[in-house]
Amino acid sequence: MTELEARKFADLEAIRAPTLGGRLARWRTALGNAWHELRKSRTASIGAVMLVLLFGACIATPWITTYDPIKQNFRERLQPPSEKHLLGTDRMGRDIYSRLLWGGRRLVTIALLAVTFGLSIGIPYGVLSGYFGGKVDTVAMRFVDGLLAFPGLLLYLLIVTLAREWKMEGIYNDMVLIFALGFAFTPEVARLSRSSVLVEKQKEYVEASRAIGEGSFAIALRQILPNIVSPLIVNATVRLGYVILIVAALSFLGLGTPPPTPDWGSDLAAARDYMETAPLIAAFPGLAICYTVLAFNLFGDGLRDILDPRLAER
Amino acid sequence: MLAYIIRRIAYLVPVLFVLTVVVFTFVEMLPGNIIDTLVGSEGVNDPEVRKILEKEYGLDQPVYVRYAKWLLRAVQGDFGMSLVTRRPVAVELMSGIPATVYLAVVGISLSMLIAVPLGTIAAVKRNTAIDYTAQVTSLIGISIPEFWFAILCVLFFSLYLGWLPSSGFANPFVDPWASLKFLILPAAAVGFRQAAYTTRLTRSSMLDEMNKEYVDTARSVGLSEGKVIFKYTLRNAMIPTITISGLQLANLLGGTVVLESIFAWPGIGRAIFEAILQRDYPLVQAGVLVLGCIVVIMNLLVDLTYRLLNPRVKLG
Repeated sequence: MTELEARKFADLEAIRAPTLGGRLARWRTALGNAWHELRKSRTASIGAVMLVLLFGACIATPWITTYDPIKQNFRERLQPPSEKHLLGTDRMGRDIYSRLLWGGRRLVTIALLAVTFGLSIGIPYGVLSGYFGGKVDTVAMRFVDGLLAFPGLLLYLLIVTLAREWKMEGIYNDMVLIFALGFAFTPEVARLSRSSVLVEKQKEYVEASRAIGEGSFAIALRQILPNIVSPLIVNATVRLGYVILIVAALSFLGLGTPPPTPDWGSDLAAARDYMETAPLIAAFPGLAICYTVLAFNLFGDGLRDILDPRLAER
Repeated sequence: MLAYIIRRIAYLVPVLFVLTVVVFTFVEMLPGNIIDTLVGSEGVNDPEVRKILEKEYGLDQPVYVRYAKWLLRAVQGDFGMSLVTRRPVAVELMSGIPATVYLAVVGISLSMLIAVPLGTIAAVKRNTAIDYTAQVTSLIGISIPEFWFAILCVLFFSLYLGWLPSSGFANPFVDPWASLKFLILPAAAVGFRQAAYTTRLTRSSMLDEMNKEYVDTARSVGLSEGKVIFKYTLRNAMIPTITISGLQLANLLGGTVVLESIFAWPGIGRAIFEAILQRDYPLVQAGVLVLGCIVVIMNLLVDLTYRLLNPRVKLG
C-alpha cells in the first residue's frame, strides 16, 4: 500500500466508523451551523426559542408540576392564581398549571407522532411514484387526489366517532387520533415529495449513480431523498401547528379524549360555563394553544425563508 | 380548454369514489349492525325477527352489492330516514345548507374586504411599521384557535358589553335587523381567520408582481405609482388571492362545524355534529357525503376559473 492509498484508506475508515469524539464534534458543527443559519431569520430564531421552551416544559413536566392533574379538591374550587396554585384552580379544584403542562405534553406528543407517521408513509410513496413515473405514477397520484379532496375535519369527525363507538379510551383513543391525523397528512407529503423528485431526477448526480450501477430503489431513497428534505421540513413544521389546532378543536367539541384527562380543548370547553365568574380559566388553555401553534408557525415561516433564499429577499 | 374541462371532470370519478367508499365504510365499521342501531339499546332478541329484518335491509348480501345499492339510492337523493326525527335525511340536510352558505359567504367577503387592502398596503410599504404590524397580526390570526377567538368575542361583546346576542339565528328575509345582529359575531370569527390567511397571500403575491419587469416599464414611461399599483400589479396579484379564497370558501362550507356549534347556527355542520352526539348515523353519513361533494365541486369550479383568469397556465 502506498502512502497515498493508506491515507485514502484512513479517510474512508474515518467516514465509516467515526469515533465517539468525532461524532460529537460533527454534531457540534452541525448544530453550530444550524444556529448560524437560524439567526439569519428573526422569525425563525423567535420560533426556535419558543419551541425550545415548549419542548423543555413538555420533557420536564413531571419535575416542574406539583399537583396531580386529575386529583379533585372541592375545597379549593375556582381559585384565582396564587402562590399555592400558580394559575389558580378549575371547577373541580384541580391545579390549572399542572393540567396545562400535562395536557401540553400529551398534545405535543400526539402531534409529533402523527406528523412523523404521515412523513414516513407519504415520503416513500411520493418518492417512488415520482421516480418510477409513467402508469404507476398516474394511478398513485389519482389516489392521492381523491384523499386530498376529502375535507379534513369531516374525516377526523368520522374516525373519532368510530373510536367512540368502539369504546376506545386513553392510549387507544390517542393512537386512533395519531393514525387519522398522520394518514390525512400523507397525501400532502406524497405530492410534495413527488414534485421535488421530478425536478431532482433530471439532475446529473442521478445519472452518475445509475452509471456506477446503483439500483432504482437505492437511488430514489439514498440519493434523491436527502436532496428534497427542506420543503418537507417546512411543511411538517407548519403541519404540527395545524394538528394541534385540530386535536384541540375535536376535544373542544367533546369528541376527543374524555375527561378527566388533562386536555387544552376540553378544559377550554368546560371553562365556558364559568366564563362570567372566572374568565381566567378559559384564558389559560386558549393562550397555551396559541403559544404552541404560533411557535410552530413562526419557526416554519422563518425556516422557509432560510431554505428558499429567493423568498427571503422579499 | 374544452378537452381540459372534460379531463378535469373525469378526475372527479376517482375522487368521488374514494369519498363514497370512506363514507360507506364508516357505517359498516360501526360496532353491531344497522339493526341494533335502528332498534336502539333494547336490541332484537328474537332470531326469527332478526333474520327478517336482516333480509329487509339486505344484510345477507355481500358488501359490494350493498355498496352499489346504497350508492344508487344516494345518487337519487335517498339517504334513508333520520333515526332521531324520523324524517328523510335529505330534508334535514337541505334545511341546513342555506344557513351554512350564508355564514361562509359573508365571512369570506368580510375577510376579503379587510385582507386585500391590508395586504396591498403591507406590500407597498414593505419593511415599515405598517408591514410588520400586518404580518404579526396575521401570523397571530392563523395561530389562534377559532373556537377560542369565538369565545373571547362572546365574552367581550355579549357578556361584558351586552351589544350582541351570544348565539342564535334569525332569517334575514323575515327580520333583517335581528339577523344581522346574530350574524356579526360568527361572521367575524370566520372572517378574522380567513383575513389572516388572505393578508399573507395578498402581500406575498403583490411583492411577486412588483418585482416583475413590466412594473419597471410602466414606471419608466411615467405612470404614477398609484396607477402602476392599482391598474396593473394589484390586478395580477388578485389571481392567486381569489383562487385561494375560493378554495377557502369550499373548506368553510365543509368545515364550520365548530363555529356553528358555538353560535348555535342552524347550518349543515351543526346538524352533522348533533347527529354524531345523538348517534343518528344515517344523517352523519349523508351529511359528510353531501359536504364532501360540495367541496369537490367547488374545487373544480375554482380550478376552472383560475385557468380562465390566467390563460398562461399550461393546461396540464
